[in-house]
Amino acid sequence: MLSDKRDGRTANIGAAVGAKWMTKVLLIEDDGETAEEISAELADRGFEVAWAADGVDGLNKARALRPDAMIVDRLLPGMDGLAVIETLRKDQFSTPVLVLSALGAVDDRVRGLRMGGDDYLTKPFAIVELVARIEALLRRPVESRETTLRVGQLELDLLKRTAKRGNRQIDLLPREFRLLEYMMRRSDQLLTRAMLLEEVWNYKFVPATNLVDVHMGRLRHKVDGAGEAPMIHNVRGAGFILRNAS
Amino acid sequence: MASSGTPNAVAIWGGVCERVNSMPQVRFIRSNTFRWASAVAGVFAAFILLLFGFIYLRIDDYLVVRTDRMIGNQVTVLAALPPERRINAIEDHLAEDSRGVQFAGLFDSDGHRLAGNLARLPELKLDGTVQNAYVRRMDQEDRGAQLVRAAGQRLPTGNVLVMGRNVDEAREISHVVGQALALGLLPAFCLCLLAGAWLSVRAQRRVEEVNRRVQRIIAGNLQERLPHRDVDEPFSRLAGIVNGMLDEMEAMINALAGVGNDIAHDLRTPLTRARLALERGRTNAQSLEQLQQVVDKAIAGIDQALAIITALLRLAEIENGRRSAAFGSVALDEMLREVCDVYEPIAEDKDITLRVAISHKRIVRADRDLLFEAVANLVDNAIKFTPKGGKVDIGLLSFDDQTIVRVTDTGPGISEEERDAVLRRFYRSDKIRNTPGVGLGLSLVAAIVKLHGFHLVIHPGQGGRVDIVCPDRPGE
Repeated sequence: MLSDKRDGRTANIGAAVGAKWMTKVLLIEDDGETAEEISAELADRGFEVAWAADGVDGLNKARALRPDAMIVDRLLPGMDGLAVIETLRKDQFSTPVLVLSALGAVDDRVRGLRMGGDDYLTKPFAIVELVARIEALLRRPVESRETTLRVGQLELDLLKRTAKRGNRQIDLLPREFRLLEYMMRRSDQLLTRAMLLEEVWNYKFVPATNLVDVHMGRLRHKVDGAGEAPMIHNVRGAGFILRNAS
Repeated sequence: MASSGTPNAVAIWGGVCERVNSMPQVRFIRSNTFRWASAVAGVFAAFILLLFGFIYLRIDDYLVVRTDRMIGNQVTVLAALPPERRINAIEDHLAEDSRGVQFAGLFDSDGHRLAGNLARLPELKLDGTVQNAYVRRMDQEDRGAQLVRAAGQRLPTGNVLVMGRNVDEAREISHVVGQALALGLLPAFCLCLLAGAWLSVRAQRRVEEVNRRVQRIIAGNLQERLPHRDVDEPFSRLAGIVNGMLDEMEAMINALAGVGNDIAHDLRTPLTRARLALERGRTNAQSLEQLQQVVDKAIAGIDQALAIITALLRLAEIENGRRSAAFGSVALDEMLREVCDVYEPIAEDKDITLRVAISHKRIVRADRDLLFEAVANLVDNAIKFTPKGGKVDIGLLSFDDQTIVRVTDTGPGISEEERDAVLRRFYRSDKIRNTPGVGLGLSLVAAIVKLHGFHLVIHPGQGGRVDIVCPDRPGE
């Protein structure tokens, strides 16, 4: 977790240099303290954050600022968070949205967000989870016709269902292949356990056992052979990142 | 006569009311039962009076018809006699009438009396038809003119023969019958009111008893039950149903209280740990490194507490059945293979053999995600509680009219005494008290299984064996 934070700060410095291209995030959240924490964390990670405390203000800010991503609380005074999004969508406003919802309020409309390319997170959440999901939304993998995925020396042939690192052939079980494919499409991105469970295993709940760690351990064992520089990194308390080893 | 019955009834009514008023418990008069009884008594009395009126009219009618026939006969007979014997015959006829209801008279053409007991010729048509007439009797001059049935006939000699009969006896008979009826009606009416009063008092007592007990229940005495007799009677049945409801509620409230304590306990433990860690870290931490360690510990504690809350909310969500919209066709065989696939590495890590045995394909109507979660939970548990080197098997079995998803393991199993307890929220067997977990797993499984209309069967004894029984529904 800490190492990751430091990485974030480095990124922040980089972003601050070219302030013009800073990613803009609009946060619509009525609780001031939560908003402050989220803003501070996102700012640390190099985002430019605008905050609106209610739906109407949020709508105005969204139209004026044209943010790259939005974080919207479901329960807002005056206007439902989903109504804000629907209004924006009608205006051909395609900014990806992360909805924050109380667990009890996760209904089909909220679940539908994931199908539409948006995402939701139930409160309470870990801040790393929020950041990871915002980054995932901002860096949605582009659909390519490429049949081979490459990250550094690692190659995944989607047709032949084979993987190799350099010249070394890696034997993968189907479930390991699926996991690696997902990670390679999102290399250099922090993938939280919850994201992996949802996307790779289609799990809609958090299992009692550390399923992800066990599966990841197996995969890592195969991908990072003896003497090779590690590519799969465990970010403590947060999740995993696949990075080019060099 | 009809009018003589009503004052009687009023008198009875008043009498009962007086008696009732003098009783200590007056409230029952206002009770529905008593009002109904009174109404029934009233209707009964009215019916009897109507019946009596009808009988009276019938008797009257009958007597008049009979009298008319008799009078007609007498006139015919006497008119046919030779004139010399006629006077004797009239005298004989009157002599036989000891009750003094017969009237007869023979008058000459000037209207002078020749024989009989009539003072003078009454006003009536002399064509032999029977009709109403006012007559005066010589020996009953004090009674004045009496209304009787009579017939007059002019004879060939020019004389006029009048025969008549008093029909007042019809009224006498009616009077007797009426008295008898009144005598019968009085006790019946009293009985009706008394029965009403008794029923009312009885019902009142029961209702009051129920009220008293309900008040005690409201006051918080949940062991209280409504009075209940073992007879098939609506009130007892109602009490039985209410008692059943109270049993259920008592069990639920007790369970809820237990859950409250369990939640408090299970939340307090990680939160206490977090608090202690933070408190100690704040004073003792010498370096950033040490402080970070402390914070990590605290976060872990809070995460544990949050996991409990999340699990509880999920449980509530499932139990409220709010997720039934996501039902679709689920291939059980494929789903079980997926579960096995996900848990295989975990089992391997623990040196446990995880296998899936499927005898046939089967599609059920279910919420795939939830059913997957239920089976995954069972497998997760089985792996957790099975010692190293053991076995966990997932099976899909088919019987005549049901399909069973069975998870068996070589772990300690669940004893008979623990069987119900494991489904309780937060229950953790003493044997496994120190195994990590939220303790809601089986409750979740049970809730999911119930939502689907399936049954969860936990087989007690050595080696865990849990079944999800899916009854086959035709038309699926």
